[in-house]
Amino acid sequence: MKEIGRLELIRESLVAVVNEMRANVIRSSYSSIIYEGHDFSCALVMADGRLVAQGDADNPIHIFAVPYSTAEVAKTFAGDIHPGDIFLHNDPYTGGTHLNDVLMLYPVFHEGRLALFTATRCHWGDVGGMTPGSLSGRVTEVYQEGLRIVPTRICERGRMNEAFINLLLDNMRIREERRGDFNTMLGASRKAAEHIGRLFKRFGGHAFLDSIEELIARSERLMRARISDIPDGVYQAEGYLDSNGHSPEPLVGRLKLTVTGDRMIADFTGSSPQTGGPTNVGPAMALNAVASVVKSYLDPQTPVNHGSFNPLQVINPPGSFLNATLPAPCGGMVECRAIMVALMVSALGQALPERLIGDLKGGANHVYMSGPRPSGDGSKAGLFLLYEYPAGGTGATRSNDGNHVVRAFPEGDFNTVQAAEIVEMQCPVRVEHYGIREGSCGDGMFRGGCGMRRDIRILADEASLSVLADHAIIPPFGVAGGHSGALNSFVVLRDGEVIAPSPIAGKVGGFKLQKGDIVRMESAGGGGYGDPLDRDPARVAHDVLLGYVSAEDALKRYGVAFASSGEVDAPATSDARARLRKARLELAINSADADTYDGARRRMEVPRAIADRLGLADGDLMELATATSGSALRGWVRIAEGGENVSLGPTGRAVLGVKAGDTVEVRAARSAT
Amino acid sequence: MTTTPRYIIGIDVGGTFTDLLAFDTATDQLLSAKVPSLPGAQWQGVLGALAELEIPFEAIRAFVHGTTIATNALLERKGARTALVTTKGFRDVIEIGKGRRLTGGIFDTTWQREPPLVPRDRRFEIDERTTADGSVLKEVALADIEQLAQLLRDQDIETIAVAFLNSYVNATNEQAVVAALGARLQGIPITQSARLIPERGEFERTSTAVLNAYLAPVVRKYLRTLAGVLSERGIRAPVNIMGSNGGAMTLDIAAEQCVATFLSGPVGGVGGAIRVSEQADIRDVITFDMGGTSTDVALVKNLMPRMSHDNQIDAYPLRYPQLDIHTIGAGGGSIVWIGADQTLQIGPRSAGALPGPACYGRGGTEPTISDANLLLGRLSSDRALAGGLQLDLAAARAAFDTLATAAGTDDLSALANAAIAVAVAKMAGAVREVSVHRGFDPRDFALVAFGGAGPMHGFLVAEELGMARVIVPRYPGHLSALGQMVADARRDFVKAWGGRLSTVALDDLRAEAETLRREGEAQLTADGIAVARHRHEFVLDMRYAGQSFTLPVAWRPADPDFTALRQSFDAAHEETFGYADRTNEAEIVNIRLVSIGEVDKPALNFAPDAQSAPTPRRRKVWFGGWTDTAIYDRADLPVGFVFSGPAIIEEAGGTSIVPPGWTVRVHESGAMIGELPE
Repeated sequence: MKEIGRLELIRESLVAVVNEMRANVIRSSYSSIIYEGHDFSCALVMADGRLVAQGDADNPIHIFAVPYSTAEVAKTFAGDIHPGDIFLHNDPYTGGTHLNDVLMLYPVFHEGRLALFTATRCHWGDVGGMTPGSLSGRVTEVYQEGLRIVPTRICERGRMNEAFINLLLDNMRIREERRGDFNTMLGASRKAAEHIGRLFKRFGGHAFLDSIEELIARSERLMRARISDIPDGVYQAEGYLDSNGHSPEPLVGRLKLTVTGDRMIADFTGSSPQTGGPTNVGPAMALNAVASVVKSYLDPQTPVNHGSFNPLQVINPPGSFLNATLPAPCGGMVECRAIMVALMVSALGQALPERLIGDLKGGANHVYMSGPRPSGDGSKAGLFLLYEYPAGGTGATRSNDGNHVVRAFPEGDFNTVQAAEIVEMQCPVRVEHYGIREGSCGDGMFRGGCGMRRDIRILADEASLSVLADHAIIPPFGVAGGHSGALNSFVVLRDGEVIAPSPIAGKVGGFKLQKGDIVRMESAGGGGYGDPLDRDPARVAHDVLLGYVSAEDALKRYGVAFASSGEVDAPATSDARARLRKARLELAINSADADTYDGARRRMEVPRAIADRLGLADGDLMELATATSGSALRGWVRIAEGGENVSLGPTGRAVLGVKAGDTVEVRAARSAT
Repeated sequence: MTTTPRYIIGIDVGGTFTDLLAFDTATDQLLSAKVPSLPGAQWQGVLGALAELEIPFEAIRAFVHGTTIATNALLERKGARTALVTTKGFRDVIEIGKGRRLTGGIFDTTWQREPPLVPRDRRFEIDERTTADGSVLKEVALADIEQLAQLLRDQDIETIAVAFLNSYVNATNEQAVVAALGARLQGIPITQSARLIPERGEFERTSTAVLNAYLAPVVRKYLRTLAGVLSERGIRAPVNIMGSNGGAMTLDIAAEQCVATFLSGPVGGVGGAIRVSEQADIRDVITFDMGGTSTDVALVKNLMPRMSHDNQIDAYPLRYPQLDIHTIGAGGGSIVWIGADQTLQIGPRSAGALPGPACYGRGGTEPTISDANLLLGRLSSDRALAGGLQLDLAAARAAFDTLATAAGTDDLSALANAAIAVAVAKMAGAVREVSVHRGFDPRDFALVAFGGAGPMHGFLVAEELGMARVIVPRYPGHLSALGQMVADARRDFVKAWGGRLSTVALDDLRAEAETLRREGEAQLTADGIAVARHRHEFVLDMRYAGQSFTLPVAWRPADPDFTALRQSFDAAHEETFGYADRTNEAEIVNIRLVSIGEVDKPALNFAPDAQSAPTPRRRKVWFGGWTDTAIYDRADLPVGFVFSGPAIIEEAGGTSIVPPGWTVRVHESGAMIGELPE
């Protein structure tokens, strides 16, 4: 009994160290991305890289990659790590995320032996490269995304390698801010190391480290027990990213998830090859995505440590966009992780249908506005850089609507836009609108959350816009028959005209903005759950009252009609729903021997009569869904002159959970607005 | 009975009980009363407690009241029908914030956002704009206000918050709308964001204004009723309300700044605990105030409670200065139940004052922590409890019988013990929150246990955390009231003003500070406190150029230059964040002023009258098995008396449970100080 209390106290202490690091980083940092956006995370890891603790609000996207990076550092400097050493790292091919996320590892010793590292991963506002902010949808190789730091000792036995640090900072925009970020990380690391020192003293170093091992072992046991409860089987999923930023070709992600006893194997073999655009990730991100979903589905309560990862195995052959090699750019790391999260949600959702959840905005939605800072006297006033990454609506679940404009369960919890009052004080812009994007929710018995709309007017003489986002072409999917949410959209309004800032939606590199332009960001709505015609009319009425959905959309999308009093008109609703049901197209599935693809695109052959009825043309995005399926299965229309049915190969049938002869709904996969 | 004002009254209305302490300055006597609270009519508890002590209203010299009215109304979502008026394009800010969840939810696929206090159809936009530098880009059009006023009437709005962008720099538009609406909608309270809290950050400022507006009608109605019944009965002393900053404030201020009263009850306890600790010469304590429905903990270092400016209440940001108190929804009345996974769960539902725990015999049938204590013999069914309550053992047993069936056990004692253990673990977590999570080791602190259920569980919580010292104040059930009795008047002011130290003029800073100081002086004078007893303390929020967050640095207007200020700031930064950026510019962001008006404090003497060692009664109490245990009456314990656990000390304000292993000594101040040898 005493031991349980002690373990709990040590666990709390570990989390407290990390929470303290967080507070110190936020409060002492120099760049708004960190202090307002909170785009950073802190963790403690063992000397071999195993994760010990992260904080309450830390983002798993940062943290679950730290063990990989730390193991690389430990390997590179094996036997040669000393008190006073400090390491820096951001290289995506050895465990980094994207180049902007700079990791500082600070070794902590106990009785002369390396015991732990404190880890601080902060998103630096700029790390050099071809566009301000470094992330761009239009890059072709990693060298355009900034400076790459392989595991590097920047401080040796207390002696800082100033030449190296100067080389870094001199090649980044807004040098002083970067120096501040660096100092912040250094300060937070030092305080954390002191704190750990006190814990060693309090609990006894060996006992303390033994307790950490015990905590990791307990987490592993718990996770194994939870996995054992899932029916053994192979669950498959298939999903798409919009493009690589240069060509309109989508990228396909494939997952074969095997649950066997107390283990899980996630196999991403068959995903698209790595690309010459930003949508690639290095080797650390697959486990990152898999573990985030597994943790959320199976053991959301217990504080995270490496024990939860041990029962998970990832198969992910190098050379795909989900495990890319030099010189593939990796700026679209969040987008690639998002598709892996979506694949896991679909696959694990087949095993645990009560956990199914609609898709999200599909990535980070990085938006940069930058330019020379205007100055009254014509002197040099430096650059301004405004970076935001708007949240969207979250996916619906079996018992609840999604939430509007908020970070979702695998995304940590930090701000996604800044206070208008701070933005306007620091940048030559005016925020003219910030609110819920009405009607953007994915329809369903439970609807997804709505995304947001934010209009920012440029007051500087000139500026540039860069965007790196996904789901601007292929909308977030619904589940269990639910519909897609609205697409992300990023446009410029100039003199009342809408201008698309790039040929490929969501991937913008250095579009020239003029004074008076409005940048309009609209984020995606979450995918719906279940049949929208089964949605409780009272819920629809409430959505209409609050303006989340218009009365017109209520009738068109949910079949809910209102009397002039504003009350639900029950008979009219009943009629409308019957009419909408009748207009649907449900077809029996034909079995095909193989799945057919045009490049990455799943080909869906649709008889002409059916395509005409659905308003589908060759090359349009469509989807198949059933009330019992996980995510809807997407494909591209190929019009067939004959036939009455749609054929699906074995993978398609497995993803959708149907067999030949089963009836599925055939429909266009359209954005909610 | 004379009518010379002689009583200093502190009165704390909690969810379960109303506690009153009266210090009679004529006789140096302390009187106490505890009566059940009446939900929905807190003022009746106030009258009841005064009646019990037979204190004539005209004999009251000072009256400070702690009230949970605002907090309860918020937690129960019983605020008024509120409208929000914002800048065009920004009505959704309070709903979506900056895209954060704010209420946990990491890895939680079922997380749902708490609905905003003002639903979207009651949020209105005005086409107006002030820019970040304070210039008015678009003025408010009168026609828009006429139209808005009509909409507000049509919607039967009871209260309004107005929050415009950048009003913290220039509130002209905000004021114009408030004035115009005020003229058209008389009697409806209007909260103006920048008047309430002129700080940058539209989400936090709007949220704070909305909280204030939402609660204003409820709080005002209560304060009006209270003032009415008290003056009807002849009270002449000013009636003051305890503020979240730890100081007292007038009814008018409390009515206008409802958000300043969220911690009205709990801060009294912290103040009282500090007073008691000071008397025992113990300077580092964690206060542990466990009541019927909730538990409040706070960390006090060197007799100073920590302040917190960026707060959150429930799901809502609250940008208002208050003591750094952490509250959890578990107390003696928390209901014990079996979760879906067959685990023993405590709260957050509570039996409250009505019906109260099953053992209160007021119709409660669900088992609570108090029932568990009664089953284990830790509470007595033979003797009346506080408020004359006779506990009903049979009812407690019946409640636990039902629970035992659900849990598949027939061992009631073990079940009751397990329930208390889970509750204690929860309490320990709250203590960790204010200590470990803020970089302190709880073992370096003493636990001050008070509140109706605090002394019952304080020793167990201390054991759980390895804390070796527990203080149980005299009158532990009345400590909040004690804190209120000794509370100074206090006003907190903030002015968003500053710039780099190299460019701001010291004289300008002094002038701004002087304006604030005069405001503080005027308010305290209006409260009836002589200028000679005013104390003004300035703090500057500072940061390095380029940073966003600030550190508070004490500043004296008399300082000849910024040298000392800069040194203090660098030192504070290094201490807090691990480095000082001495080559970078430092800047001032806000000027904060705390104005304190000192009031007469009674020379409290809690030393017990008892002279000789008492002879305890004995009964069997469960400590891992039925154990023969000494039972003392607190009033019988003389100064210097030492005894060991297991022991139970009974008194009107609460029961102290001393587990085996502890040694307790009665301090000269009347407090019991328990120590656990290594």
